[in-house]
Amino acid sequence: MMKKTATLLSSVALAMALGTMSASADTKIGVLVPDSGPAGLFGPSTRNSAVLAAKEINANGGINGEQIELVFADVGVPPAEAAQAALRLWKGQGAEAFVGMHDSAVREALIGRFNGQVPYVYTPVYEGNSCADGLYITGETPSQQLEPVIPFLAEKEGVSKWYLIGHDYNWPRDTNALAKGFIADAGGEVVGEEYVPFTVGEFDSSLQRIKESGADAVLVTLVGGGSVGFNVSFAGFGLDDQAIRLGTLIEENTLAGIGADNANRLYSSSGYFSSIETDAAASFAEDYLAVFGSDAPALNGLGQSAYEGLMLLAALANKAGSLDVAAMDAAAEGTTWSTPRGDNTMMGRHMAQTIYLADGSGGAFNVVASFDNVASSEACSN
Amino acid sequence: MSSVLLLNLAWQISTLALVALGLAIVFGKLRIMNMAHGEFVMIGAYAPVITSMLSMPGWLQLPVCLVTVGLVAFVLERTIIRHLYGRMFDSLLATWGIAILLREIVELIFGRGYQSVSPPLTGTIRVLGADYPAYRIAVIIGIILGFIGLYWWNTRSKVATRIKAMVGNPELAEAIGIDTARLSAGAFVFGCCTAGLAGLILAPTVRIEPMMGLDYLIRSFFALVVGGLGSLEGLGIGAGIIAGTQTFLGAVASQTYGYLAVLTLSILFLWLKPNGIRSSSR
Repeated sequence: MMKKTATLLSSVALAMALGTMSASADTKIGVLVPDSGPAGLFGPSTRNSAVLAAKEINANGGINGEQIELVFADVGVPPAEAAQAALRLWKGQGAEAFVGMHDSAVREALIGRFNGQVPYVYTPVYEGNSCADGLYITGETPSQQLEPVIPFLAEKEGVSKWYLIGHDYNWPRDTNALAKGFIADAGGEVVGEEYVPFTVGEFDSSLQRIKESGADAVLVTLVGGGSVGFNVSFAGFGLDDQAIRLGTLIEENTLAGIGADNANRLYSSSGYFSSIETDAAASFAEDYLAVFGSDAPALNGLGQSAYEGLMLLAALANKAGSLDVAAMDAAAEGTTWSTPRGDNTMMGRHMAQTIYLADGSGGAFNVVASFDNVASSEACSN
Repeated sequence: MSSVLLLNLAWQISTLALVALGLAIVFGKLRIMNMAHGEFVMIGAYAPVITSMLSMPGWLQLPVCLVTVGLVAFVLERTIIRHLYGRMFDSLLATWGIAILLREIVELIFGRGYQSVSPPLTGTIRVLGADYPAYRIAVIIGIILGFIGLYWWNTRSKVATRIKAMVGNPELAEAIGIDTARLSAGAFVFGCCTAGLAGLILAPTVRIEPMMGLDYLIRSFFALVVGGLGSLEGLGIGAGIIAGTQTFLGAVASQTYGYLAVLTLSILFLWLKPNGIRSSSR
């Protein structure tokens, strides 16, 4: 019996040793993607972009000399479940850092769960105002998407009367609070502001109010299907002749749903479009096509942000010399790195980046202006 | 009241009545609580996507829509639904499963992304002193004419009576020579085809994606709860109250109050007047 127990123990010890050996061969990075839920549409392009980033990082020598391996979890679920899934990757599979493309509620749950013990890069467009130890943000915040763009459109299109419409939650409200300042600075005025519940599928009465307000520009912070429905009806009523539209979350999928007929004078402001014509962006799009084929889900700013997140993680960890949160926090400020979006700088834990303004007229984004090195007003103290 | 508000009311009420018609037939006549109703609207909305994918001419949208929706409905009726007549709760669970299945199949074929459909009529026309989308005006007129035709047919035809006999007592109905299999399949397929037709008609004005059906199921259900089952008048009243409340309050107050009022109305009706304003004689 004793002998048996001893054999068992030694084999367990051996297995554990082997386990650690195989774990130490690669640095595991947890990638949190929405495979299900409302953002499930972006799951596949997010995964693909993360895979491309890992290839790129490994081809350039990995993170601090070690190759990286991605481990994925679905976070298109309620926050508590998402935090559980992340915990399994962290404590169960040995992930040493996280990159996440998900909503803000999940982010807050993860910040609580990680508690500054593991580096965590948050990548999608978001409302701003999130700071924590070990948290680094690549996503565009409202100030970045609007500060250069509103004066540009005021000048180019000669618009001054803005109507603000969004879904009723914090991202649209925070965006519009900032937008009012930028509109006033550009010499314009806000002629209407409206928030609609997610459950509403028709916008007839809102469109009538926009028409009566005499607005010549509409800032759209509706998301997903609501944005599609609104923009389709907007053009149906012929309002595209009256006013331009500017969206801060109208990406390639949303534009496809809006359709070429309904996208006249529809602008979108983002850190990424699949049609950016720089060398870096073009070669990224070529790699994506070569690896995943022409049937792969279309590239878009949300999916591509996972690539940005992993590239930032590699740049920070290589600069700090480790994946230790304290070392990375100390090294973060002023880190520079280049990606398909352009040249980026870490400022106040947020990513100062190039912002692109694209015109969706005709059903495809055509970049009409780019603004280099736009910093976020959401700086965190280090 | 502005003329645009009047036209918006006409648009919302007529389209809701069309969307809810199929549910009213299947639920009201066959006593099948069809949770997959919205998915038939969704499949109908994908018909123009199918024709443009296969580069077929535009006039084929209607036949493609009716054939696709009709076939799916017929197969489901013969394999699953026909075992569930008279078992309302079981039918609810089974059709909920069917709804998920249909969504997944459509997602498998077309992907999760949004699709867009061009309207056959573009631009706005001047009606009652307001610029209103020409396509919507055509649809409102078409639906009104369609319902007049349906009402006329319904008062003359004995089909409704036969269905009632069949649901009430299948054995007796068969004994007096009613082909219940054909009748039930026909009624189910007809109901689903009207849902598909609604989807086809709404397609150029809404978002199109595999999950879109749910909205239509819920609104149709509210309309039936308020209006009552089993009559075209009830359907019209229900659609008028639900869509009218939402549109009117959305215009004079805000969309949030509009939706709140619709939910409150539905709950009050389920509680105090579960048979709705116009219930059938059953």
